Amino acid sequence: MRRVLSLTSGRIAVAVLAVVALLAVLGPLLAPHDPLATSTHTLAPASAGHWLGTDYLGRDVFSRLLAGSRISVLGSLEVALTALVAGTVPGILSVQLGRVFEWATLRLADTLVALPFLLFAVAVVALLGNGLTQAMLVTGVLVSPLFYRVARAATLAVARAPYVEAALIAGAGTGWIVRRHLWAKVLPPLAVALAQTVGTGFVIVSSLTFLGIGVQPPAPTWGGLLASDLGYLGHQPWAPVAPALLVMLTVWAANLLADALRDVSGEAGRTLLRGRAARARTAAVPSVTPTPDAHAGGAR
Amino acid sequence: MLRRGRVRGRAAAIGTALAVLLVPALSSCAGDSTAATGGHTLKWASSYFPAHWDPVVGGSGAQFRELALVYASLTRVNAKGEAVPDLARSWEYNARGDQVTFHLRPGLKFSDGQPVDANAVKAAVERAQRQKNSALFGDLTSIRSVQARGLDAVVRLTQVDYQIPQLLGERVLQIASPKAAGSPAELDRNPVGAGPFTVTQLIPGTKAVLRKNPGYWDAKNIHIDTVELTSAPDASTVVSGLRTGVYNFADLDPRQAADAKRAGLDVFTQPGFNASNISLNINKAPFDDPRVVDAVRHAIDRREFVDKLTFGYGQATDQPFPEGYVAYDPKSADRYPYDPAESRRLLKRAGHRPGDIRLTLVIPAEDPAAEIVQSQLAKVGIIVTIRIDKNWATPFFAKDLTFSLYATTGRDSALQTLTAHFGPHGPLNLSSPYEPAGFEAAVAKVRATPLSSPHYAEELQAATRAGLASRALVFTYSSPNLFAKSKAVSGLPKNPAHINWTGVTVAGAN
Repeated sequence: MRRVLSLTSGRIAVAVLAVVALLAVLGPLLAPHDPLATSTHTLAPASAGHWLGTDYLGRDVFSRLLAGSRISVLGSLEVALTALVAGTVPGILSVQLGRVFEWATLRLADTLVALPFLLFAVAVVALLGNGLTQAMLVTGVLVSPLFYRVARAATLAVARAPYVEAALIAGAGTGWIVRRHLWAKVLPPLAVALAQTVGTGFVIVSSLTFLGIGVQPPAPTWGGLLASDLGYLGHQPWAPVAPALLVMLTVWAANLLADALRDVSGEAGRTLLRGRAARARTAAVPSVTPTPDAHAGGAR
Repeated sequence: MLRRGRVRGRAAAIGTALAVLLVPALSSCAGDSTAATGGHTLKWASSYFPAHWDPVVGGSGAQFRELALVYASLTRVNAKGEAVPDLARSWEYNARGDQVTFHLRPGLKFSDGQPVDANAVKAAVERAQRQKNSALFGDLTSIRSVQARGLDAVVRLTQVDYQIPQLLGERVLQIASPKAAGSPAELDRNPVGAGPFTVTQLIPGTKAVLRKNPGYWDAKNIHIDTVELTSAPDASTVVSGLRTGVYNFADLDPRQAADAKRAGLDVFTQPGFNASNISLNINKAPFDDPRVVDAVRHAIDRREFVDKLTFGYGQATDQPFPEGYVAYDPKSADRYPYDPAESRRLLKRAGHRPGDIRLTLVIPAEDPAAEIVQSQLAKVGIIVTIRIDKNWATPFFAKDLTFSLYATTGRDSALQTLTAHFGPHGPLNLSSPYEPAGFEAAVAKVRATPLSSPHYAEELQAATRAGLASRALVFTYSSPNLFAKSKAVSGLPKNPAHINWTGVTVAGAN
């Protein structure tokens, strides 16, 4: 985290995502109005009482955006964490557990990649009922090949390293090797993939809720607000801007964080930080640089 | 310099010559495309593009309007909603009122060349009564049998019923060629009727192209050569489609009405029988307590539905008929006015504190009306959770739900509307086999009253009154039959709930 925050892009990404996380936790409490309370002031423009106006049932749009952030954040986290677990564990094990397991998991990963996750999520909701949890779990599984491949590639690189073979010869167990050597190599690319998947998760949650899938009305969601606003473009052409911007900003921040994690992880990251430290030292030198005379004297 | 000037001059001359040649040529191309589709082409974006083109499977719901392009029926309705001749030029009842004979027009043929005769009528009725996937058999319980005598179809009834000419119109008995109907699955793909148009191209669920049927009995009054019927895209894009000429006629969502008017389109409503309701199952708690039902009745503010959902184009209603219609009962108007205080009192009397009653409102798709119901009932202390069930139709028509919403487009026979809603086996009565006291007797009186009788309106309104005593339905609002059209399309006849293309013209250049 220290390394990420050393980058401007990392600081921006963390700041934006922290605000979104805060909205997810405190959003419903911060909402100035009851997000479900209807009124006679329908499709009202922005005003001091309603910062983003009201919707077709007279509900405060700002309050609904705040209240809707929790579902969007939780949904995207659900996708990302499911994908992380469902992909990483078999990815590491595919190197350790022999050829049959390796072959089976590789074919499974190939199959999952071929499935369009949005359509699949729609089908699952149709089968199991309209709930975001099941849709997100399935989507997470469908996204998991990304983690599978990342974890497997990193594990393969480490598993054949001389120091691992030495540890094996010295009698170290698989668990010890995973803890001592593997995690350090696998975690950075996984962190990058995780940040990226959080962004993807936001897009998926927003897409599903835009289609009215996964959430029961009148629960507000960013995608749902966007969808309902589109029906009233003639009355409030500006209305979709706020939810669309929120989705865009969050996805952008998640991708920015992924970039920052990639930049600071591994050898490249260490080099970057060393370079920065060196530049910082160089920049600091003039303040303590002796006068030319002293320098000359010192040289002597 | 001189040479460059000559080149420029030559280029300008060539450009002018090309413009002179190409502009008329391209213009004539545009004209040709119109001519290729028949010159007078109706381009209709419909929200009710038929899922089935076999009228027996399609049922008597809103899609009948589109199917009526292809199929004619024994009767149709006039501007007053009364049955008038269509394929049948006349009809008469026997003295007892339990038999009606329809006299068909001579010399008519279906578009496959089969004759339109009493055998076709008999086949249509029997198919509607017996076909496995028929959605109409419940509408034809009054018909015992049909006897074919050349061009006379003798309809024998199970009871005295003067509603039959109203019933056997476009909604319930669109008549297909018996030969084509020999394979219902094939008919569903290639509809064959004796209506004003014949299908030349059908892309299921998406688009149909129809051409004028010169053999239609009233072909001289059909001035449209071609109909391009398209399944309407998202409501927000319909106005754009109308503005750019992709369509020249479309069903319109009230939300888009202001946009359509700003675009210079003709926005108009057709009269109809649309009525939305809250369906309650009184066989299940908490609606088995009449006080809870009354509490719901008093908790509903109908005006809110009209203002927020129809943008003022609809009407508040507590009956399944519009005010002024023959079946509308003025004596039942505002029987349960909006009175949340009274609602809370009733709930208290029934022993329910605020928050005690928790209901699940099951609906087939996202519907702002459900959110209005939820917020209105919340004000009297009833907590409603909305659940969208894509398979809603199965539990609804099996009467398994406790609490739901329904919207009807009505029926041509007012009595059919009443029995569908309030009858013991009415498909829209969620509380079957419950029926309000006195309803059956009132219905029997209406059946036995000729439509021309001076007592008909009185008897019909009495039946409406008896039906409205039902605790199973709370009517809320009537959504408008709202349409938009380009100026190229002339005005439509105001036949209630129907879209009648007789006499309608479409200017060649849409």
